[in-house]
Amino acid sequence: MSDVFHEEEALGKAYDSRLLFLLWQYVKPYRWQVVLTLLLVVPMFVAELAPAWIIKTGLDHAFKPEAESAAGDGPLLWLLAPPAGISAFIWLAFIYLVVALVSMGLQFGHMVLMSFTGQSAMRDLRTTVFDRIQQLHLGFFDHYPVGRLVTRATNDVENVAEMFSAGVVALITDLFKMIGFAVVLFYINPKLALATFVAVPFLAVAAIVFRLKVREAFRAVRVRIARINAHIQETITGMKVVQLFTREARNLREFDRMNADHRDAWNQSIRYDSLLFATVEVVSGVTTAIIIWYGTGLAEAGVIYLFIDYMRRFFRPLQDLSAKYSVMQSSMASSERIFQLLEKDVLIEDPVALDSPREVVGSRGSVEFDHVWFAYRDEDWVLRDLSFKVEPGESVAFVGATGAGKTTVINLLSRFYDVNRGRVLIDGVDVREIPQAHLRRRVATVLQDVFLFSGTIEDNIALGRNDLTESHIRRAAEAVQAHDFIQRLPAGYATEVRERGTNLSAGERQLLSFARALAHGADILILDEATSSIDSETEALIQRGIHALMEGKTAIAIAHRLSTIRDVDRIFVLRGGQLVESGTHEELYSRGDLYFRLYRLQAEIESSESAAEAPHSGAPSPSTSGRVSG
Amino acid sequence: MSAATTTISTEGKDDSPVAHALRRLSRYLRRNGFYYFIWSLITLSYVASFIALPLLVGWAIEGAMDPDLSREALTPRFIALLAVAVARGGLRFFSRLLVFTAAREVEYEMRNDLFEHLQRLPQSFYHDWRTGDLMSRCVNDLNAVRLMLGPGLLSVVQTPVLFVGVLGAMFFLNPSLALLVLLPYPLFILISRSFGTALYSRNMAVQVGLADLSNQVQEVVSGISVVKAYSMEEVQARRFKKINFELYRRALRLIMVNGAMPAITGLLPTVAMWVVLVVGGGSISRGEMSVSEFFIFAMYIWDLTFPTFIMGWVVALVQRGAAAMQRIDEVLSTEPSIRDHAEVVALTSLQGEIEFRGLDFSYPGNEAVKVLDDIRIRVPAGSTLGVVGPVGSGKTTLASLIPRLYEVAEGQLLLDGVDVGRLPLSLLRSSIAMVPQDSFLFSIGLAENIAYGLPEDAPFEQILKAAERAQLTKDIHELPDEFDTLVGERGVMLSGGQRQRTALARALALRPSILILDDTLSAVDAETEAAIQAGLGEIFAGRTVIIVASRVSTVRDCDQIAVLDRGKVVELGGHEELVARGGLYARLASEQAASERRRQLASELGGAEPTSAAGAES
Repeated sequence: MSDVFHEEEALGKAYDSRLLFLLWQYVKPYRWQVVLTLLLVVPMFVAELAPAWIIKTGLDHAFKPEAESAAGDGPLLWLLAPPAGISAFIWLAFIYLVVALVSMGLQFGHMVLMSFTGQSAMRDLRTTVFDRIQQLHLGFFDHYPVGRLVTRATNDVENVAEMFSAGVVALITDLFKMIGFAVVLFYINPKLALATFVAVPFLAVAAIVFRLKVREAFRAVRVRIARINAHIQETITGMKVVQLFTREARNLREFDRMNADHRDAWNQSIRYDSLLFATVEVVSGVTTAIIIWYGTGLAEAGVIYLFIDYMRRFFRPLQDLSAKYSVMQSSMASSERIFQLLEKDVLIEDPVALDSPREVVGSRGSVEFDHVWFAYRDEDWVLRDLSFKVEPGESVAFVGATGAGKTTVINLLSRFYDVNRGRVLIDGVDVREIPQAHLRRRVATVLQDVFLFSGTIEDNIALGRNDLTESHIRRAAEAVQAHDFIQRLPAGYATEVRERGTNLSAGERQLLSFARALAHGADILILDEATSSIDSETEALIQRGIHALMEGKTAIAIAHRLSTIRDVDRIFVLRGGQLVESGTHEELYSRGDLYFRLYRLQAEIESSESAAEAPHSGAPSPSTSGRVSG
Repeated sequence: MSAATTTISTEGKDDSPVAHALRRLSRYLRRNGFYYFIWSLITLSYVASFIALPLLVGWAIEGAMDPDLSREALTPRFIALLAVAVARGGLRFFSRLLVFTAAREVEYEMRNDLFEHLQRLPQSFYHDWRTGDLMSRCVNDLNAVRLMLGPGLLSVVQTPVLFVGVLGAMFFLNPSLALLVLLPYPLFILISRSFGTALYSRNMAVQVGLADLSNQVQEVVSGISVVKAYSMEEVQARRFKKINFELYRRALRLIMVNGAMPAITGLLPTVAMWVVLVVGGGSISRGEMSVSEFFIFAMYIWDLTFPTFIMGWVVALVQRGAAAMQRIDEVLSTEPSIRDHAEVVALTSLQGEIEFRGLDFSYPGNEAVKVLDDIRIRVPAGSTLGVVGPVGSGKTTLASLIPRLYEVAEGQLLLDGVDVGRLPLSLLRSSIAMVPQDSFLFSIGLAENIAYGLPEDAPFEQILKAAERAQLTKDIHELPDEFDTLVGERGVMLSGGQRQRTALARALALRPSILILDDTLSAVDAETEAAIQAGLGEIFAGRTVIIVASRVSTVRDCDQIAVLDRGKVVELGGHEELVARGGLYARLASEQAASERRRQLASELGGAEPTSAAGAES
């Protein structure tokens, strides 16, 4: 909540040239549309000038029916002179209708073109945002809430799109037209024009003051609504705690305060907004009086009509200035947030020379860490000069304390992070030289926290791989013992997984993730065993699956379960990012060092509790232990 | 504030959802009746000035063009014109101010009501409703209602009155011209109405497209580790592109209507002026109509332009607002199924005796599955009950029934001999402290999280004491701002173990009659857990304690242990007794011993990650 608060608070600008430049990169492919949109403003302006001029001509004509020169002179004005044999009124009415229809067409074309450009650019921007999100390294996601990323790709982009239909382009158009009307009026009658615009300096000052005031008000509103929505969201997600601790009344009091603050901020901005609206209206009325007062001495009725009409069109854009200002402000804020995200470092990139990706043919699956140093931050070394080699088809287990670097080992192997020093090699090739997609196709990771996507069970095993056939998926599920429970589901493999897989138990989800890994046919398997409480039945289920999964693969396990530790070929003991002991179970045991002592300890425990039967996960004595599956 | 939320659904059950929603809305309007009353007076005055201004312009022009009148003779006409112009601006100001302020007031009240109501809705409600959906109702729909009441109401009320007034004035001046000029207006209102409908449906399509898009982003971000591990980026990018393109297509469809509407409605004043030009111009040249009259007509047409122009938009606004109100009403009309019973048993305090008497439970909407089946347990006040069993056996559900997070379906749950449903909810929940399984923290300060259930003026010592008992003080001193550290959304700034201990401290800060620990310390390392356990004895004294655990060792010292399996109590008794019986508990116990050995082994190997729930044997 506080982050949202700070994030929103910093942003109140309605104009930022740096951001506009960045945005321009997305508009650039559509620059001809932009040019056309802007060019259209000229004929639109002429079409807006025309009706009043035609009426002026008509009015002049009404007073002097005999005057053929009523059309006056000037560019295009000859059009208003009727061809021979046609009455002036009929002709003017005809021209008038033509102009009206053309104007309508232009307006429609302009609006569509403008929005089309905006939407196209935003579609591209959205794709860029999404691609960037997917490229960001894993560490980024630990501290960036999901909801905020969703907002970047949706609401923020929408806000930026608004700028095209109601912001920048509208402002430019308005400005152009205002200048145009002023020029035309001065051209027609400078004296009367001067009188007409006598109120403009006053309005300009009002608009500037208004801009300052409304900026503060809008900023306050934005900050407060962000707080309110964050608070609602948090209360909904934590509702159980709210109710258990009977915080409802106090929460409501606090919420009411926020809510009232928000309302008050709005009321402030409503006051300014209404004031500007009313001011423009008063000025327009007063100016009408001025035009009539001075005009009747200086010009004909037609000219007065023209002046009043153009004057009103001149002032009109000022009335919804606050709306446009608000749009600009929020789209600037949104684009700022979007570009902050886009400017985040990807960190992990594919090899530059993509023409020669080092893909190993006939891969076998050896894994080697060669003097690897790694720190997530600065010099906080998590791995120090770590070297080891896992042969193809071998299975190893990493054991060690929290922070010993076990998880980091698998993060580096899948290249979720890059090493600081040294190399990580797969079949002798540095992982940095393998395209990420190839690398990860070979390395299957089974994480302790199983994430399920919306879609069917089958989708969740295939994970977008179209080349996996139904029977292939089924065989994988059978091998890891997931087939039975899937069959029992209402629609079998076609059962829809609910949000976050709530209709599956933890063990079932775990089995699904095994099926995933197996179906994808990787030759290197990474197993991050769950530390959290798992009941014994689930554990038994998982154990059966694991053995099928590990068969014939290079397997690297972060092991917490004794059965896994015992079943692997070699054990690596990590401490403080260094390898302190490694070897097969027998080697380590016979070395009489740490591992040996541990087994002695275990034997003691075992003998003291030998009475306890353990049908599901009995602990065989050291001598009988070994690999369960080849 | 809550009047509208509590009384509404009792009446008129058979009417349509729209009518129901609008009736609720009318309550809010009535509550702000004063605003609306003043506003309607101002609107009437505004309409009067609106009609008067063009007449005065005409009067001024007539005078100014009359060579017989001196400038001095004209002065009153111009003063009148200026006065009305200023008055009209002023009235416009107050009219907008009032109606927008009132709309904000209603928004404020409704948001408060929504929030209050959400807090009263039970857990089962939150199973059925997605957070995103609720948020959208609290944010987008509320906004739509506010727009309906602001600009929407302003136009809907004002524009017809304006039209009637202008029509009258025009007829008074020149009936035949008035008829001709105003002829196209109803047609245009019809056109803009149909556009409004198209606008609405296409806008909805865009909203749905946006929702799909955000679901896609949400899912990929939530599952980013799988996405990366299985190189799903391309697949997901393709899927995103498809959704993105669909959204784009829908947006373009919306644009076609959006662009056509102002163009077509913009035609209206032009056509009206055309009529004035053709008919009026002829009349003027024949001397049947004065120039000032021409100006009056022109001004009326100008002034009607904007209100007509926005009618289409307003119609869409009102439609959207009504639909949004319906969606809000749906939430507000959901009766909180868990609330104080009509005949509440007014106890002043609870001793803490708990008795499950033949209790059955299934989750609403999934009645086929009995989560709890004929539970019979009696927990005397001041004793401890351990609950163990495999995952999915109903342990957490059993614990959740005590603070009445869910309603008992069949059978009884008695506290101090009183049915839990008959106890005042506030007494019940303030007598219970529970540490839920997921240890949810709020994004406030650490100390504030611990003090979450305490009164605002609770002394700091109480927080400190709770933190000590949860073995949290050492961690706190290592945090950047110690007790003031902001824990982030859901507590992301803390480790899993720290989160759990904070949640524990939050419960231990209270002095409840009943303490419920639901598998609380799974992410806490064994040493710390042992230290916590040692301190808990003191807290347990004199309290009824329910400990839910997946590991047997956590509950071995409990007075009673209930072993659940598929919703049934399969065994009930003390640790020794159950071990001796050689049933499920004994099996769980031996497995627990095995995993305990595993844990020790791992910790000897260098202090591996803790497994859950070490024994209370220390």
